[in-house]
Amino acid sequence: MKFMNRLKQNKDISTDSDIISAQSALVDNPDGVAFDIRDLNLYYDDFQALKDINMEIKDRSVTAFIGPSGCGKSTLLRCLNRMNDLIESSRVEGEIIHKGQNINSPDTDVVKLRTEIGMVFQQPNPFPKSIFDNAAYGLVCQGHKNKSFLREAVEEALIKAALWDEVKDHLKRNADSLSGGQQQRLCIARAIALNPEIILMDEPTSALDPIATSRIEDLITQLKQEYTIVIVTHSMSQAARVSDETAFFLLGDLIEFDTTDNIFQNPRDSRTEDYISGKFG
Amino acid sequence: MKGRRYLSDRIFRGIFLFAALFAAAMIVLLLVFVTVRGIQPFLPSYPERQSILPFLTGMRWRADQGVYGVGFIIINTLVGSILGGLLALPLAVLSAIVIGRIAPPKISQALTTVVETLAAIPSVVYGVFAAGKITALVDDIASTFGISTYGGSSQLAVILLLAIMTYPTMTSLTISGIKAVPLTLDSASLALGATKMETYFKVVIPGARSSIFAGFSLGLGRAFGEATAVSMVAGNALIGPTTSLFERTRTLTSTILAGLHETVGLDYDIRFSVGVVLMIIILVTNAMIFGVKRHFDKKAEGK
Repeated sequence: MKFMNRLKQNKDISTDSDIISAQSALVDNPDGVAFDIRDLNLYYDDFQALKDINMEIKDRSVTAFIGPSGCGKSTLLRCLNRMNDLIESSRVEGEIIHKGQNINSPDTDVVKLRTEIGMVFQQPNPFPKSIFDNAAYGLVCQGHKNKSFLREAVEEALIKAALWDEVKDHLKRNADSLSGGQQQRLCIARAIALNPEIILMDEPTSALDPIATSRIEDLITQLKQEYTIVIVTHSMSQAARVSDETAFFLLGDLIEFDTTDNIFQNPRDSRTEDYISGKFG
Repeated sequence: MKGRRYLSDRIFRGIFLFAALFAAAMIVLLLVFVTVRGIQPFLPSYPERQSILPFLTGMRWRADQGVYGVGFIIINTLVGSILGGLLALPLAVLSAIVIGRIAPPKISQALTTVVETLAAIPSVVYGVFAAGKITALVDDIASTFGISTYGGSSQLAVILLLAIMTYPTMTSLTISGIKAVPLTLDSASLALGATKMETYFKVVIPGARSSIFAGFSLGLGRAFGEATAVSMVAGNALIGPTTSLFERTRTLTSTILAGLHETVGLDYDIRFSVGVVLMIIILVTNAMIFGVKRHFDKKAEGK
């Protein structure tokens, strides 16, 4: 709330309508559903990467997508903020309802959508700029120029991403000077700075060592108080540790979607059981 | 067997060393030769001895009167080359963005070939084109302002010619710089709600700035050193500095080249002095560009 109040004070850009729309997120999603995916099909040219996906992703929880390589889990994640638009050959059918709107509709303001839905990538990919400029990037693109506003927003984002104590004395240093785990937390901070409602994470720890991984996992657990998190992971133990619900994909099909406890303890589909018990993958 | 292989290894090491030393020796030889010849006219033993200060600051080059001043020529060279380079720079960066990011692969490949071909065209061909087309264009522009030119030979013609000639060098270096910026950074920027244009200008171009500076300094090097084509449109003014875009100009290179084989004595020897001045200017300019680049690098690290 402190952050929202500050947004309100910043006269440059924020208007009251921004705040109302952000606060009404819960009202727009009365069932606590962040995404309602309906009959989603995705093709790369002739290849069908996603087949009739139907699922509801809950608000303020962690949803994990698991499955072997090429199962479509990352593709589905990239549908949620329309990043698949960047792949020329991709074609999407079906609906993804978010806040009462179909985000696949041509009327969607994709740029605005992506400020509301943050994304963290597989490889830490900070910009070759200072730590401060990385964290402030999204806000600067939004047109925020007020230095003290940016400083506060950067500090708050870095605190939330559990990076502030490590970098507060050298915010001007290039982000390349950070370790891989710090870089990935900076990428999380960069997304948080925009005060999104949802954070998408595409295998965020696959390039990190075990200690950095466990710090990111702790962070995910903290962040779910405030954000809806969707995480793609290759690590089943990670899905079991951090997620509330888990979806298992295979060759573009959603095989099973249930609470994480049920998926890992009482899977209904034998293919799910085979995958989580390590028979293939 | 081991002995023979060891021997051939040593022989090849000798050949490599010789090749490297030969290249280094050529550079040293050239610098020494030009410099030694270039200072001759200023030595007491020289029959028509010149003074260094009037030579460097002189605003007239009247071989017929035995007056040799390169001051205005230095100014004209700097203005013509730098304005030409600055005109080409934004075009080069924008073209490189189109080729490196926006255009579909086939078109991008075709455009790259065009740029590489442009870079390979001999300068005399640019010169013929400039003498035939650019001068006519400049003359037309001048006459709409009611100004008459010397058949279009002018500072503006030199600037336009040098912009065209430096463009391919700057563009190809910038393309390689832009292609070296990882696409994952574009994704990161777009996922943060940046538009494609914001991504190009805030992430891709800053990421390629080393190559952009390298391209700019190579392009300027070509502009400073270009003799043939420039001579064809400069008009070789006798006094200066040139203050109007439509007036004739004279560059260091065109001064060295003009009538080189029809002259002897001081008028011949002094051209080596002009060559020394040109080398110094190029060195100083490159050092300055490097300084600017350092400044940008520091700025990019933090505010």
